[in-house]
Amino acid sequence: MDIQHRSDDAARPATDEAFVESWRNAAYNCYSSGHKFCREVCPVYQVTRDETYLPTAFHANIVAMEQGLVEFEDVARDYVNCTMCGACELRCPNTLFVGDFYRFRTRTVDVVRAARTLAVDRGVEEPAWSAWNAATDRDRHEPVVAEVGVELSRAWASSFDLPFGGDTVLFVDCEAAFYRTSLPQAVAWLFKAAGEPIGLQPEPWCCGGPAAEMGYADQARRFAEHNVADWRRAGARRIVVLDPHDYISFTEDYPRYFGDDYDVEVVLALDLVAGWVREGRLTPTLPINTRVTYHDPCRLNKRKGIWVEPRALLASIPGLEFVDEDRVTQWSYCSGGGGGLAIARPEVTAELSRRRVARAADLEVNAVVTACPWAERPLSNAGAERGMAVIDLLELVAISCGAPIEVPGWVR
Amino acid sequence: MSLAVGLDEGLVAELSAIVGPDRVRTDAGARLARTRVPAPFPVHRWREHLPQVVVLPHTTEEVSAILALANERRVPVVARAGGTGLTDGAVPEHGGILLDMKGFGQIYEIDPLRRTATVGVGVNMLKLNEALAPFGLFYPDDPASYPTSLVGGRIGTSGWSLIGARFGHTRDLVLSFLCVLADGRVVRIGDGGGPKISKSSTGLSLKQLFMGHQGTLGIATEVTLKLYPKPEAELSLFWGFARYEDAHQCVDALAGAGVATFAGAVLFDEAKVAYLRRDDEAYIPQPASVRSVVCTALYGWEDEVRAGGRRLWRIAADLGGRYLGDEISQGDWASRHDRYATPLHGRRLDGTVVPMGWHCEDAALNHPEIVSVTRQWHAIVEELRRRYDAFDDWGTFAYTSADTGVDYLVEIDVGIWEQVLDDGMWDAWVEAKRAIARVAVGAGGSISACHGACRAGDVDVVPEELEGSLAIMDAIEEALDPHGILNPGKYHFRKGNVFQGGQL
Ligand SMILES: Cc1cc2nc3c(=O)[nH]c(=O)nc-3n(C[C@H](O)[C@H](O)[C@H](O)COP(=O)(O)OP(=O)(O)OC[C@H]3O[C@@H](n4cnc5c(N)ncnc54)[C@H](O)[C@@H]3O)c2cc1C
Ligand code: SF4
Ligand code: SF4
Repeated sequence: MDIQHRSDDAARPATDEAFVESWRNAAYNCYSSGHKFCREVCPVYQVTRDETYLPTAFHANIVAMEQGLVEFEDVARDYVNCTMCGACELRCPNTLFVGDFYRFRTRTVDVVRAARTLAVDRGVEEPAWSAWNAATDRDRHEPVVAEVGVELSRAWASSFDLPFGGDTVLFVDCEAAFYRTSLPQAVAWLFKAAGEPIGLQPEPWCCGGPAAEMGYADQARRFAEHNVADWRRAGARRIVVLDPHDYISFTEDYPRYFGDDYDVEVVLALDLVAGWVREGRLTPTLPINTRVTYHDPCRLNKRKGIWVEPRALLASIPGLEFVDEDRVTQWSYCSGGGGGLAIARPEVTAELSRRRVARAADLEVNAVVTACPWAERPLSNAGAERGMAVIDLLELVAISCGAPIEVPGWVR
Repeated sequence: MSLAVGLDEGLVAELSAIVGPDRVRTDAGARLARTRVPAPFPVHRWREHLPQVVVLPHTTEEVSAILALANERRVPVVARAGGTGLTDGAVPEHGGILLDMKGFGQIYEIDPLRRTATVGVGVNMLKLNEALAPFGLFYPDDPASYPTSLVGGRIGTSGWSLIGARFGHTRDLVLSFLCVLADGRVVRIGDGGGPKISKSSTGLSLKQLFMGHQGTLGIATEVTLKLYPKPEAELSLFWGFARYEDAHQCVDALAGAGVATFAGAVLFDEAKVAYLRRDDEAYIPQPASVRSVVCTALYGWEDEVRAGGRRLWRIAADLGGRYLGDEISQGDWASRHDRYATPLHGRRLDGTVVPMGWHCEDAALNHPEIVSVTRQWHAIVEELRRRYDAFDDWGTFAYTSADTGVDYLVEIDVGIWEQVLDDGMWDAWVEAKRAIARVAVGAGGSISACHGACRAGDVDVVPEELEGSLAIMDAIEEALDPHGILNPGKYHFRKGNVFQGGQL
């Protein structure tokens, strides 16, 4: 029996039966165990304490469909309650142990995404997501701020003399372009300081990742097609991303959409900057005399295994007192910003961020450093409630290197 | 299509008035998710066990009002904690109200002076220990389900801790709790009246009565637990043996050595080692001469643990034990919780891998009986496997229960391919469970050391094990729950009088 599954948007199940068929063995693997070792790391469960929103239930629903106990419509909305953080997969013994042995890993994130896609195809999607994706479709960028045209997505760069296109292009996602403008500014400044050329993408659209995560597969794909064509027109061979969510889209979704035709290199700004600091091309010299901790963004730590470089960067900043928490401990933390949760269940996101900031407060730090613009908004809101600053790692590095950027809520 | 809910709209409205509409769930997903436990389940009969309604209370007062209502309306109420019980205790056999206790997730008090913690029943030991760490304290209830079972379910099952030979088991570690009786009355159950007292001679020992009743006598809400200083050191040692009999003798010698930091000794039989060697990367490289494994763990201050470890090492070496190395000794013990869940897959007779559930029969036995009982169990499973290619034998474990090795938790792990189970296979399995239980009882043991015996098959043997004392239990149950609303059907309490109205 083949117990290996891959989700592929190109092979979207048209019927409940096809959906069940593609996931039934994966679902049985969890159903057969059902011990919920994943439970206490699941951020959504920690707030809701509702078993319905756990991988076990997500998988068991599929078994129930196969048994004819429910139709998809009956359970579709359960799948909204997930940030797609990936913690459950890491904690699942199916990944930890037998995953290697049988080359089978629990893939809850893909199951949730497939279910959400089916929900959209079936017209039983979450209303808040439907409205959000309609706005994104219209404006070509996420409705991060009040309605503004996509041309304003480069407003953050007005004080930088950056060319359009070129070999290396910076992709600035909507959250950073419209909301956390200090982050792309910090990155552009660091590129200049390192003497590395970088260009602007002529017409960046939303990466399509959020749409894909909420189940709007066609929209996600349309956006991806635009971005790839735009990169080609701009002559880009290397795309630099500053948001872990984009990194997932560009390194996991896009290759699936375009196969061998996908010929750009995708690099994380954080990795580049860490390399420059290591090589001595950039040296943080201005002391930042404060006590901070680091919030491992889910998509970096849990989904991509990137947790060493951020710590190396923090260690390079003079004056900074860095109180670290183990990355594994952080499997159970999440800002709540991902997977569309903040749009559909803002109260759960807010509580998650509140708890994350409270844990940081226990360490008696003055600030939480992150590396994900999507996390920064809910964490900043929670931080504001108790006087805790939230700053992006690259913003911090740039400040220490002398960048004249203004970071919201950060007093130098 | 929706599930036929057999829903009582009036009841739903009244429950909503108690806890608010958001915490009363009648949707299919909410009910399905709370119907099953990890132990294999005849999935084609899932619908027989659905509750009508799921309620998520947050306070003792809410639980009290819900039970008063259910009692008045004669509706079954089944408490569910982590839902990891392996004897179907939390499965609503007769429908009704599923009371999901995970909303009691608060740590109310940590009292370092008296070394107690008072928590909601929805708290998990892992999370509790995270909160206790800054106080230098820990709560040593350490089942293999440590990351996921909850304090309330530990009371419901009277669970068993992997380090119980040093610190005791759930019943020793729970000092007292608030308990809501069937009619809604709230009482404190403990050893005597004081909430933080561990030993009293006032009155009958109600605490033990309320341990392991599988939610049939009342519903616990807030629990006061006994804490220990967090041990400075943990030492685990694994030895390989060529013969099961020698390994069997070794655990007894380790347990009987009188080493104070001894937290437990474990015996893996040949079938378990063969299974691990087949499917577990850590064990595959073990030389073929290793056919049975003994492990021991010590907890305490570093100097006392070292000294105790040396003594136990000598004992094992004298009996022919061959040290398996630090990697297995430390790694395997560190992953003791996850390793239980390794069997998410099993093998068919032709060797193909299929998703299998894990069934564990967990008798309590004295040391001399272990070898003969486990051999008889293997024969039962072998016969089952010969008839149906849906079962796999994953071997047996034996764990010392207490510090002297008087008795052991002895379990046989059986893989079951649920996807193909039909009524015929299920009936054969239930019959095999009866046979497994009878072997344990026949050897002077008990059907269950930790999970309880209220599931199809083993429950039928309970009257044989308990004989006359079952009638006393029945009478107590009747006195406390005259309408039989609390988890009806479990333990066959007042068989024939079980609630039928909740069936869907
Ligand atoms: C991988 C794995 C490993 C395991 N290892 C062990 C082990 O080493 N030792 C061990 O003892 N068990 C073990 N178990 C079994 C299981 O974890 C225990 O039986 C545990 O005590 C059940 O706790 P729970 O919170 O999941 O309870 P549940 O399964 O939800 O409930 C168990 C019983 O308690 C009742 N109950 C629940 N809450 C309350 C309450 N508030 N008041 C009264 N009754 C209540 C329920 O009705 C049910 O009858 C293991 C299970 C798994 C899946
Ligand atoms: S996802 Fe993994 S850890 Fe969670 S219940 Fe399923 S099998 Fe267990
Ligand atoms: S991906 Fe994260 S939020 Fe979703 S079920 Fe897993 S742990 Fe929970």
